[in-house]
Amino acid sequence: MSILEKAFYSPVGKAVSAKAGLKEPARLRRGRTWPEGPIVLASIGGGTVGAQTLELLGRAAESPIVDDGDAAPGYGARIGALVVDATEVTRIDQLEELRALLRPAVRAVEGSGRIVVLARPAAGDWESRSVARALDGINRTVAKELRKGATATLIRVAPDATPGDLVSSLGFVLQGRAAYVTGQCWTVAPGGVAVESLAETPLDGHVVVVTGAARGIGAAIARTLARDGASVVAVDIPPAGEQLAAVANEVGGTALQLDITAADAGATIAAHVAQRGESIHAIVHNAGITRDKMLVNTDAARWSSVLDVNLAAQLRINEVLLDPATEGGLADGGRIVGIASTSGIAGNKGQTNYAASKAGVAGLVTAMAPDLVDRGITVNAVAPGFIETEMTGKIPFVQREMFRRANSLDQGGKPVDVAETIGYLIDPDSQGVTGQVIRVCGQALVGQ
Amino acid sequence: MTHSAVVVGGNRTPFAKAGGPFAEASNHDLLTSALDGLVARYGLAGQRIGEVAAGAVLKHSRDFNLTREAVLSSPLSPATPACDLQQACGTGLETTIYIANKIRLGQIDSGIAGGVDSTSDAPIVVSDPLRRTLLKANAARSTKDRIAPFARVRPRHLKPQAPSVAEPRTGLSMGEHQALTTERWGITRDEQDEIAAASHHKLAAAWEDGFFDDLVTPYMGVARDAILRPDTTIEKLAALRPAFGGPDGTMTAGNSTALSDGAATALLANEDWAREHHLPVLARFVDAEVAAVDHPGGDDLLLGPIAAAGRLLARQGLTLDDFALIEIHEAFASTVATTLKAWDDEDYCRSLGLDSKLGTIDRAKLNVTGSSLAAGHPFAATGARIVPTLAKLLQQKGPGSKGLISMCAAGGQGVVAILEAV
Amino acid sequence: MTGAPDTVGTPRPVVHLEGSPGLGAAFARALVPSRAKRARLPEHELTIHDFSQDRSRLAAYSRVCGFTLRDAVPPTWIHVLTFPLHVHLLGDADSTIRLAGAVHTSNTMTLHRPVLADEALDLTVHAEGLRPHRRGALVDLVGRAEVDGETVWSGVSTYLAQGMKAPGEPEQVERPSWEAVTPQARWRLSGDLGRRYRAVSGDPNPIHTNRVAAKAFGFPRPIIHGMWTHARALAALEGRLPERFAAGVDFVKPVLLPGTIGFHASTVDGGIVADVTNRDGSKPHLRMRIEET
Repeated sequence: MSILEKAFYSPVGKAVSAKAGLKEPARLRRGRTWPEGPIVLASIGGGTVGAQTLELLGRAAESPIVDDGDAAPGYGARIGALVVDATEVTRIDQLEELRALLRPAVRAVEGSGRIVVLARPAAGDWESRSVARALDGINRTVAKELRKGATATLIRVAPDATPGDLVSSLGFVLQGRAAYVTGQCWTVAPGGVAVESLAETPLDGHVVVVTGAARGIGAAIARTLARDGASVVAVDIPPAGEQLAAVANEVGGTALQLDITAADAGATIAAHVAQRGESIHAIVHNAGITRDKMLVNTDAARWSSVLDVNLAAQLRINEVLLDPATEGGLADGGRIVGIASTSGIAGNKGQTNYAASKAGVAGLVTAMAPDLVDRGITVNAVAPGFIETEMTGKIPFVQREMFRRANSLDQGGKPVDVAETIGYLIDPDSQGVTGQVIRVCGQALVGQ
Repeated sequence: MTHSAVVVGGNRTPFAKAGGPFAEASNHDLLTSALDGLVARYGLAGQRIGEVAAGAVLKHSRDFNLTREAVLSSPLSPATPACDLQQACGTGLETTIYIANKIRLGQIDSGIAGGVDSTSDAPIVVSDPLRRTLLKANAARSTKDRIAPFARVRPRHLKPQAPSVAEPRTGLSMGEHQALTTERWGITRDEQDEIAAASHHKLAAAWEDGFFDDLVTPYMGVARDAILRPDTTIEKLAALRPAFGGPDGTMTAGNSTALSDGAATALLANEDWAREHHLPVLARFVDAEVAAVDHPGGDDLLLGPIAAAGRLLARQGLTLDDFALIEIHEAFASTVATTLKAWDDEDYCRSLGLDSKLGTIDRAKLNVTGSSLAAGHPFAATGARIVPTLAKLLQQKGPGSKGLISMCAAGGQGVVAILEAV
Repeated sequence: MTGAPDTVGTPRPVVHLEGSPGLGAAFARALVPSRAKRARLPEHELTIHDFSQDRSRLAAYSRVCGFTLRDAVPPTWIHVLTFPLHVHLLGDADSTIRLAGAVHTSNTMTLHRPVLADEALDLTVHAEGLRPHRRGALVDLVGRAEVDGETVWSGVSTYLAQGMKAPGEPEQVERPSWEAVTPQARWRLSGDLGRRYRAVSGDPNPIHTNRVAAKAFGFPRPIIHGMWTHARALAALEGRLPERFAAGVDFVKPVLLPGTIGFHASTVDGGIVADVTNRDGSKPHLRMRIEET
């Protein structure tokens, strides 16, 4: 810790920074925890998917307070979450109903509380499509106005999607697992899987391969997925073997020392899994490197090594694991998760190669997803923002503090936040979630 | 009823020069690290293994239960029993034999064999007079009686005694012994340097190929064998000064193993059990033999493996030609050369009570991924380095491929064993 | 063998000692070099009855010499037990030969049967065989250990009293030929070995422990006791020695302390020939022959 950093975090420093308008960041609710206060459910236009989903989740719902005019009415007490079923909202005037629901709720929602809007994907006439987009603007803005770690999320529920299809998604968002996901919007399509409730350990009996698992986010992914029941195959380069072994032993998984850029990497992973008489439920392509330089200084080696590790290796490995002839490959109904990045989405100085690879990952999942729907394989990506890791700990303090606060939650995320989102995506009950890129960034100022 | 004991795989730390990167690590630390990696590779965390047998040649008295303590430090179930075994440089192979025999007898389904040595962590003992004084003082009842024995302590008694690497009965170091053997058998400097260079080149190539990715787990920031010199050449080795055998000696630091730190383990199992538990089955443990020579009577100290191999092959009805691969522990390059020469020496073999000489081998089958000259030789660990390495190589050769391991050990002993790919 | 040798015509007078002789007058005298020119020996033999062996001293002796501590004792140990009698005998007023200044040139001993550490021994020593040598007079100190009248060990230590005269002409002794050997073992002798052996053997000769004393007798440094070298060589043959045997040694050249020496042994017809040599085996210090009896 630098002297500057020490001073900043000293009591005096904290008092000074508070005067200067830098709030002490809220402590986020994490893990498989529900909001403390009641969950309020409202429906605009008579949609019922929200109510049915909450029932499947076993959460009681209370009625909303509606702002009907002059003095803004209050809830009287903190509420844990507001879930608005806006699946029947297609007209501009219906948005006023949403305002009337949000106004009291935004004031009353507890720390790490949730505002969740369920809507349909854009479809229909001009107005309807426009309204769909308007909801997005509302969601992003609410997320910015909420305080104390409360978040806002817009879930687009495809018309044929059932409440069961929505269980894992709504459960994820309401629980502490989605702590660092805010201002985001993604779609749940029909999954064709009968889901009756939210599973505590959805990955029981499932093999999950995590690359880059020796440290940082990868290690957190291994731990979180193991907590959810997964049998983890922890993969990392041989020089990281000691930490890799520690992670594998901690989660009761197996360690596989492997350079993912090797030509036979996919085959080696499959053989490792096949040896144990299993197939892969999910692979999390977490391994990644940076070779940052301004473009004027970026040579071919810096360029290709980043693209090879972060993007091309994934493609090669996926190809092998998706081949039905591969013993120990990806099972039908399986999951592929890539790691994109806000850098890839928004661009970042000095990271052309990295941005290319990470945007490429986002592109890859949207491209692959439709092609694998028939096999029940979902392909998604998470895009972490500023996550507190050993790697980001090396960024100079002032710069780090700026990155850390450049989001709606005024703080950096934790590796577990990324891991929880991945856990949600590879949950067998998240069958309807595919081709999505979910940012885990606290609504970083950069990017979408 | 006998069962089939198979090698599932192994794990070791990289090996490093004594006093090098592992200087601060104890035998306990190193052995635990090797177990950690093995447990991680095969997903054994929390599992009860039949037995873990390992040992160290240089051992502190505090490490009287070294292996059991390492098991307790590892992620294995604390219900896993362990024992310490020691047969000098043959330890890592002897522990394999012990575990394999228990599996073959049906006493256990799974077991881990291993060995560790840290010349950096060698025990330093106090002199005999001081030791006896301390014991006497400890047993005394009154303060006066406790102090009295110390009156006899002299400054010279306070000088610590490092463990000797010399053979106790002859006072000759292993290198001095081998120098006698080297001269007696007429092994040339060129021959030795050639073996040493080849060892480095073959080990380096295996590392480059990723061969050791599933055999070694890094430790303390060391990811590869630190003694390895990929760029060494016969010319460079030829420039070194003799280390043993006087000014005209042919043995140098380059063609002799360096004092090393490291630990190695091998996972063995009943073949059926391994398959049921979806563990790899690399090679079957076929048989083993240990022999010894009368080195105080003037025999060649490190030629124990000649009689051992002769008796083993005779019992199994095999010849050297039946082996796809042969691993001869490179205590010294000249050990390898003399072993090969002695196997092919009719008179010598008959003098050991063998029916005939064993013959020659195709050098292309020998130590194909390098051996102790390049990898290093933490005494007790070497056998447990070779077993998984050979098992993996045999599996790559295909079912039925046989491999022979030959290890010389202090005290004039030789340990040999046969593996066969399943 | 039947009957006693003819040479033992009249029995010697016997002097019984109560326990092992200590620092008596005889002992002190033995350490003072004699100024007499004519060698003369006491006629009597010295005996200690029922001598109990001290196991802790045996343990210390075994450690210093390299023997494994066993119930059956090394024959050189019994020599050590008789040694005070040598000193006492040569310290007698009738003796003009003194231990100090006398050189132990050769030694033979026979183990007639294994001797156990808990056996009480009757130890006897007498002097005989005074004869001329080109550098003085030779004398044999003949020792015997008995258990209940059975001779279990016997030994002859030949000393050279330098500069003394004995009647007759020196016998011409042919030196056995010597060929260099490759040592099978190498022993590193520490500087304090003389002190350590003195502690277990009771041989107080300062030539083994004191640099000044060693210089006085012409050695640059202290020399190790010949009987240590003998014992060490015997210890090196552990496991190869027969149950009953005779061991003969010639002390060819003293070993300076500290120092490194070599050892070489080979089996010959009916026994073992062993040599303690210098470091590289080119010169002998001690030559030993073992024969089964």
